[in-house]
Amino acid sequence: MATNAIRALHPMTKFTFALFVTAAVIAVPSYLFAYAMFAALLVIAAAAGVLREFFAFVLKTLVVLLIIVFLMQLLFYPGDDIIGGWWVFTLTQEGLAYGLLLTSRILAIGSAFILFFRITEVKDFVKALENMGLPPAGAYVVLSTLQIIPEMRRQSNVIMDAQKTRGVETEGSVLVRAKAFLPTLTPLILSAIASTEERAITLESRAFSAPVNKTSLHTLERRPIDTGLIALFTIGAVALIVWRVAVWIL
Amino acid sequence: MNKTATRKRSFQQDFSLLALLLIPIGVAINFVGFQLAQVLRLPIFLDVIGTILVGVIAGPWVGLLTGLITNSITAIFNPVYFPYVVVSMAIGVAAGLLSKAGLLRTLPKAILSGLVITAVAVVISAPITVIFFGGATGNTSSAITATFLATGQTIWQAVFSSTIITEIADKVISVLIVFFIVRSISDRYLSKMKYGEQYMKRNRRK
Amino acid sequence: MDPVIQLKNVSYRYPVGDEQVLKNVSLDIGRGKLVTIVGNNSAGKTTLCNLIRGFIPHFYKGDLEGSVLVDGEEIADAQLGQLAEKIGYVFQNPFIQISGVKETVFDEVAFGLENLGVPVDDIRRRVEDVLQLVKIDNLRNKNPFELSGGQRQRVALASIIVMDPDILVIDEPSSQLDPVGTEQVFDIIRLMKERGKTIVLVEHKMDLIAEYADELIVLADGEVKLHGPVREVFADPSYMALGIQYPHAAALALDLQEKGMELPFLPIRDEEVAECLARARRKEGRP
Ligand SMILES: Nc1ncnc2c1ncn2[C@@H]1O[C@H](COP(=O)(O)OP(=O)(O)OP(=O)(O)O)[C@@H](O)[C@H]1O
Ligand SMILES: [Mg+2]
Repeated sequence: MATNAIRALHPMTKFTFALFVTAAVIAVPSYLFAYAMFAALLVIAAAAGVLREFFAFVLKTLVVLLIIVFLMQLLFYPGDDIIGGWWVFTLTQEGLAYGLLLTSRILAIGSAFILFFRITEVKDFVKALENMGLPPAGAYVVLSTLQIIPEMRRQSNVIMDAQKTRGVETEGSVLVRAKAFLPTLTPLILSAIASTEERAITLESRAFSAPVNKTSLHTLERRPIDTGLIALFTIGAVALIVWRVAVWIL
Repeated sequence: MNKTATRKRSFQQDFSLLALLLIPIGVAINFVGFQLAQVLRLPIFLDVIGTILVGVIAGPWVGLLTGLITNSITAIFNPVYFPYVVVSMAIGVAAGLLSKAGLLRTLPKAILSGLVITAVAVVISAPITVIFFGGATGNTSSAITATFLATGQTIWQAVFSSTIITEIADKVISVLIVFFIVRSISDRYLSKMKYGEQYMKRNRRK
Repeated sequence: MDPVIQLKNVSYRYPVGDEQVLKNVSLDIGRGKLVTIVGNNSAGKTTLCNLIRGFIPHFYKGDLEGSVLVDGEEIADAQLGQLAEKIGYVFQNPFIQISGVKETVFDEVAFGLENLGVPVDDIRRRVEDVLQLVKIDNLRNKNPFELSGGQRQRVALASIIVMDPDILVIDEPSSQLDPVGTEQVFDIIRLMKERGKTIVLVEHKMDLIAEYADELIVLADGEVKLHGPVREVFADPSYMALGIQYPHAAALALDLQEKGMELPFLPIRDEEVAECLARARRKEGRP
């Protein structure tokens, strides 16, 4: 596997970076700054070789929300500095400014985490959390959830098809469609709950609750550059917040 | 170490293992419920059934974790709505406490519980909507909020009103679904859950 | 005899059950023996396995009377997590029997050793060995979720064997398997016996029992009806009344006996049938 320098960083390094972006755009009250952050994220995504995927996710999850947020501020945010009107609405400078600031922040913070998950394996992130003190049982629960969701989705499709062939209506009025909900979900839930007993026995058979410190074949590499970057991002975030609070008090 | 202490400790461990294994299932039920509501084009989300169910049979703490993990996993695909994780966790806790208080044993009480959970969801999610998203959300409730705003309400009034409207049917129906599902879980599993015993058929008969 | 597992007057009722599932069971299982448990549906076979492994009373509560000793130690006093090293447990359903968090068979087999805190280098070596032993090396990079029932059952066995327990409790390993899968599983069981493991096996394929097992326990309605060397149990006149199958060879021989033929002994393996018939003929004075 050809490892990219950015993706090869420790999960916590990448996570600290996302937190740094969050702190920075909150500390600096400028939409230009926040939009610039988004531009920086695009560059990083390109460097990490995930630009297309990153951009597709941003489009899919953020754009509609940002438009709605922006319009609501523009149309309804209270203010006196009237810059125009449209139909029954009056548009104010305050609304425009707040709309730009809020959307720029949502965009920057949202994209920082979208990028984080595009360049980090969830498995590695969970491992990093485990190294930081998350109990192994907690890590187990998260990883097992990731495997169970697609499995149960598949089962629900199977049950749904079976319901259809048995004549349960999935088309028609809302009431008719609603009636198909429980017969599909209930058997799925009951069999899932029934399986917990055997799963518990399986885990106990594999010494899951043995009172010793577990070892792990899956280890993360933490290099000096990770330590350096984490320190840098942390100091940067703290400095920005201190500066912001200082400006605010003085 | 004395014998009873050892036994007690291992019992607690085992108990918590089964409860822990319920969490992934609760999370998956949330996802499947949501997907199913979409496929059937139902006008409500039905995406907290698993959290409520786990809270009801395994208690507030396990319910809280189910909510936390549900939103954390959603965040992998769409991190923007992560702030609402607090709402999910609160719903899990509320479901656990309501169950502990015996408020899911009969249908009328379950409806009451549905209203309580609606209240919890509204009180926590409305401020998030206002502070983080300026009153907007990515779905139809934004239109309702905008309508209230247009009639001259403040942003807080408008968001609270529209949240109540979108949440009430969803949460009451979700609690009712859980009410019926719990009654069809076999005694064998209910007996092992912290708050499950009250729903066992042999106990209900008495 | 040096009993590793001892049950003394054990009775048990599940928490939500109305009746006792095991009634006054007493038995000794000797070290290094392969002991098979047979019985009709709901006879209590799985419950007996759970008891030996300590899942009763550690996991299933309910009412337990009498005592279960493993290596002279009361199982109720042991810690469930620690028992994994001493008693391996493989059960019926191969589909649920995976950790649910590992992405390759190799990691799946390593899971138990990770939980026991075994150093990483040792884990790799031991997993390699077991993959060879159980002949699943070709599956090492496969996702456990994508395996067939037979493959999963072997992965489940490997995942337990790798922890090297002295005792193996195996509950109907072949119930979901085709003949080839069954044979593979029994090969592993035979290997484990050769390595001196004590094995408690629930199985209903009588020919396999006749071939591999040392002793047979017949359970009916939660009671031990017969217990002894396999050959003696099949030959016991009261066995027939219990409504449990015989091995093919024995069933055939008993048919012949019914029709008036006198048998010198009861054959239980196919290869014994010829010998039995030959001796029966000689006895009748024919050449
Ligand atoms: N967890 C449980 N809670 C309550 N009752 C149980 C439980 N497990 C088993 N039983 C009951 O105990 C009895 C014996 O079950 P057990 O599973 O031990 O039988 P078995 O001989 O293994 O049967 P099978 O051949 O079907 O595997 C059955 O009546 C069963 O319904
Ligand atoms: Mg059984």
